[in-house]
Amino acid sequence: MARRYALVKLISEKKLTDQQFHETLDYTIKRYFGEVGFSRIDPRIMEFDSDSWTAIVSCERSAIPELAAALSLITKHAEVPFVILVLRVSGTIKNIRKRLK
Amino acid sequence: MADLLGVAGYSTIGLTIPTGILPDRVDSLRKAFDHSGLDTVMRVDLSPTSRMELLRALRRFRNRYDIVAVKCLNQRVATVACRDRRVDLIFFDAVNNNTRFTHTFARLLRGALEFNVVSDLIQHPDGWVFSRIRKALRVASEHRVKVVLSSGARDHTMVRSPLEISALATVLGLTEEESIGGVSSAPSSIVVENSKKRSPKYVEEGVTIVVPTGR
Repeated sequence: MARRYALVKLISEKKLTDQQFHETLDYTIKRYFGEVGFSRIDPRIMEFDSDSWTAIVSCERSAIPELAAALSLITKHAEVPFVILVLRVSGTIKNIRKRLK
Repeated sequence: MADLLGVAGYSTIGLTIPTGILPDRVDSLRKAFDHSGLDTVMRVDLSPTSRMELLRALRRFRNRYDIVAVKCLNQRVATVACRDRRVDLIFFDAVNNNTRFTHTFARLLRGALEFNVVSDLIQHPDGWVFSRIRKALRVASEHRVKVVLSSGARDHTMVRSPLEISALATVLGLTEEESIGGVSSAPSSIVVENSKKRSPKYVEEGVTIVVPTGR
């Protein structure tokens, strides 16, 4: 199945781990779109760079608005506020990696 | 916040300036955003409670700001704001039960309708707020009303990229084209139109002074 890749930037006062980002993303998607929506979006964190605070998240091709909407509604993890900005969306991970460099 | 807006991918931002603020302070604010490579557009949000209050405020502030937005607190204000051509944007409070965007307002509206999607949904993440915004977007879409999408950010935690704002609107029922237009072409067309209106050559809608050249 074709997928889309989103380059996201995390902005927070405290450092966030891969696991924490994963938990927050899953929780938010399930909260706003439910379990069925979660299975349709099928989000996966492909890469997480804790130094540059960027991540590559992939989802089903048709579900990119839902993924971006869910990411925009994330405001905090364990009472630590943080902002997620979706910077770019691409059809190939290679293109997104180019943008990262 | 200015740096964050630059990272998010904005080139121009609308700065909501309170009506009583000193010009020096406005200049320093604009400089801060200029420093980050962002163009600023001065905007005022009027929240009148009556028709007369709105008309008075429009007479006073129309020429001082690039964009005039009106928060519709009740039906009477909303009716006048929709009809008046000096109003660029109208917006409704997502949690106000007295007024909402209806077919009547959609038929009257001359300007554009604004949605602060991010701030409304983050501050009130309830199903009924989603439902209310969805209904308003459906009415706007049905009447082909110009829709402007905004984050409504008051601090850095509310800043979202244009891509995220348009995605939220797409999820809430706008087409992809409409939602992308809501963060790009719709607001920029208002700014361009208003800059034309503020030029000394502008007389009224469709009438401008043309100076003959080469004679």
